[in-house]
Amino acid sequence: MTENGHGGRPSAHIIACAVVAEELEKLGVPADRMTVLEFGLHVNPDDLKKALREEIAKAPPGDILLGYGLCSGAVTGLSNRGGRLIAPRADDCIALFLGSRKEHLRRLNEEPGTYFLTKGWIEAAGQPFDSYEELVEKYGPVRAERVVKVALRNYTRLAFIDTGLYRIDEYRALAKEGAERFGLRFEVIPGSGRLLEKLLDGAWDDEFVVVEQDVEFTMDMFLVSRKDIEQDGS
Amino acid sequence: MEDYVVKVKDAVRDLELEEVPVMLREALDAGEAANVLLAAMCDGMAECGKLFESGEYYLADLVLAGEVMKDGLEVLEPLLQAGETRSKGTVVVCTVKGDVHDIGKNLVGTMLKSSGFEVVDLGVDVEASKVVDAVRSNGAGAVALSVLLTSMVNSIGDVVSALEAAGLRDGVKIAIGGACTTDELAERMGVDALGRDAVEAVRIFESFFA
Repeated sequence: MTENGHGGRPSAHIIACAVVAEELEKLGVPADRMTVLEFGLHVNPDDLKKALREEIAKAPPGDILLGYGLCSGAVTGLSNRGGRLIAPRADDCIALFLGSRKEHLRRLNEEPGTYFLTKGWIEAAGQPFDSYEELVEKYGPVRAERVVKVALRNYTRLAFIDTGLYRIDEYRALAKEGAERFGLRFEVIPGSGRLLEKLLDGAWDDEFVVVEQDVEFTMDMFLVSRKDIEQDGS
Repeated sequence: MEDYVVKVKDAVRDLELEEVPVMLREALDAGEAANVLLAAMCDGMAECGKLFESGEYYLADLVLAGEVMKDGLEVLEPLLQAGETRSKGTVVVCTVKGDVHDIGKNLVGTMLKSSGFEVVDLGVDVEASKVVDAVRSNGAGAVALSVLLTSMVNSIGDVVSALEAAGLRDGVKIAIGGACTTDELAERMGVDALGRDAVEAVRIFESFFA
């Protein structure tokens, strides 16, 4: 709605997850245009929904961009009283880091047992599978081992997404360490800012969900049918 | 005789992984019937489900509970098969194509098994054609599909279509479950029911075979 002269980009307010926010900053979003929510909220979609609803209500009137995907349905039911609400048509933030949902699906289909990891996730949640120590404390080593084994048993690859951020090598090393410790093959796959750039540029084609003022996001809006995928050639 | 029924139930609820098989063997030696002990284990598991619902247990606790049940079933199963237990029906269980998350699927499988169903577990990342083959070769009356990733929900529709194409859909009830499933999705995919947890899954499949 409100365009400013700055690089032709719409100046809509942004609400983003902490792990996505860092990528957005890299793409030139000033801190005062963005509300950053903590990463841990994604564990409980209802908590995340509530937090997003509160931040949307607090945001300045106008369009709002979400730095989130569907995120286990956390964004469904959200609406904006002050303008449009826009989000990438993605399942979660992995598509945001890889540059498209198509690339996310391609990577997942080539190896369904892929555990994706980024610098932001390591920062927010600690070293990969850090919670193992917490489990040992809670259950003792034998039971903790069983829980972790069950949780990871079908994963075969740890894919670290290289988004080219500052100090990426340090985090790549941490990811590799985690992979080795839990017997996963380690791979680095290239990230891409393409989808987030499109979000910022207002290039909201069918890779985005855009709802008018007061219209709620529904899960249907985010899902892609088998037919769409085939037509897309992926 | 010691009250093994209460002890077993409490030990399952308290996630006593190492103790449960030992306790079960002791109880069997003391003359307790395997099906009575199985019922006690299921009661313990149901209590875990309630503790999860009330927020006292986390997913890791349920995972551990599933492992306790698995180890316990290993002790009891040979004796149960020799007994007079009759199957309530055959259910093909799997995590859909493209998805490898199986904690929920395994919990449902364990609960169905311990509730008297014949369970054919196809594992994870399962092609629709494999589900059709398994339904046909086992004469299954129901299918349980698990999916965590929203990116893979179309795989549910693929199974429904494949069963229809094989002319089996009318004789098979399908239920879905998993973190991303909603009533809206169940309707969109054309399945018969949605289960929110393993306890509800048992109720659903009992109603399917009623």
